[in-house]
Amino acid sequence: MSVTEANNLKNKVKSLAGKTQTIKSDFTQYKHIDFLANDIESKGKLTFKEPGQVKWEYTQPYTYSIIFKNQTVYINDDGNKSNLDVGGNKLFERLNNLIASSIRGDMFNANEFDMKFFKDDDNDLVHFLPKDPQLSEFIHAFHIWFSKKGNVQEVKMIEPSGDYTQIVFSNRTTNQPLSDADFSQ
Amino acid sequence: MRILASSILFILFTACASYPKKQQFTQVTASTQNIINPYFSDTSKDYVYKANIDAFGNSFGGLFIVKKIGEKSHRMVFTTEMGTTIFDFSIKDQRFTVHKILKDMDRKILLNILQQDLTALVTEKLETSQRYQKGHQTLYESQLLNKKHYFYFRQNQLKSISRTKNGKEKVAHIFSDVEGNLAKSIRITHNNLPLQLTFKAL
Repeated sequence: MSVTEANNLKNKVKSLAGKTQTIKSDFTQYKHIDFLANDIESKGKLTFKEPGQVKWEYTQPYTYSIIFKNQTVYINDDGNKSNLDVGGNKLFERLNNLIASSIRGDMFNANEFDMKFFKDDDNDLVHFLPKDPQLSEFIHAFHIWFSKKGNVQEVKMIEPSGDYTQIVFSNRTTNQPLSDADFSQ
Repeated sequence: MRILASSILFILFTACASYPKKQQFTQVTASTQNIINPYFSDTSKDYVYKANIDAFGNSFGGLFIVKKIGEKSHRMVFTTEMGTTIFDFSIKDQRFTVHKILKDMDRKILLNILQQDLTALVTEKLETSQRYQKGHQTLYESQLLNKKHYFYFRQNQLKSISRTKNGKEKVAHIFSDVEGNLAKSIRITHNNLPLQLTFKAL
């Protein structure tokens, strides 16, 4: 991808992210571990609302939800509820911002990531490589696929070992009104 | 006085009794045999469990994944539901290798516990020289990482593994909801620590 094309993509994604107040989407997650015969597949629903409220709700093959809201993580593990106050935890704060950013694809921060831009069939693909060693202990790279409109189609989080988690979004709706109940535990 | 002395002797006797004796098992003629734990024995199978760990008042979940990768070799990974790897170990012929563990969990005491528990969980073939019987129930005694373990079979199905010290059970691995060679439910309970691991097959 040329520099101009990369800049166009950045502007398109940033502009779309700025206009996106809420997202609802289904997702399919593939956990790839090199020594396994098959990826571990799970499915669920993602709900996002500005500023930075995120709910990942897994419905298959297990029931589990994790909500990032008001500097607290709310977990519901098949009926067992727990909270984790992470106020003041800088790493968590960054991780939460990162999750919220990656859903919209708006991660074009040259201070935080080295970036590489590619064309991949009908989509645009960007590799984000964290510069911070604290983050790169967990994640070697984020690969994000964008639609022509600038929506995130797919996120792949690659661990230093090469194993990865791939999340493919479908049935995405944006800017539909969401209530507090959508982020209840 | 005689009754008191007898009582003390009885208490001492039962307190010092072996684990099988306390469980009312009788020793059968000793001969060297092999015990088979079949629950992680298929190299073609990915063993994937939803896991819960209750440790020292904290509870957290994730996925526990085991793969038999060689004759006496297993790889096992614990990840969060969202896919982040918490630990990645291999056990080959009872030798334990840490490929990855989160920095916050990289403590020798924790690694020793996980090494003991997971080695007992996946070791497939063990030699035993002591066998105890109670009806259709059998206890086989064996050494794993220099600690005494009892493998409890009922009607030829492995039901539990108990690590003992001085005749007392310290750690129990309990297998239930067994289908063929798959234990769909596994619980590892520590009797001397507030630590319990629960695995449910996905």
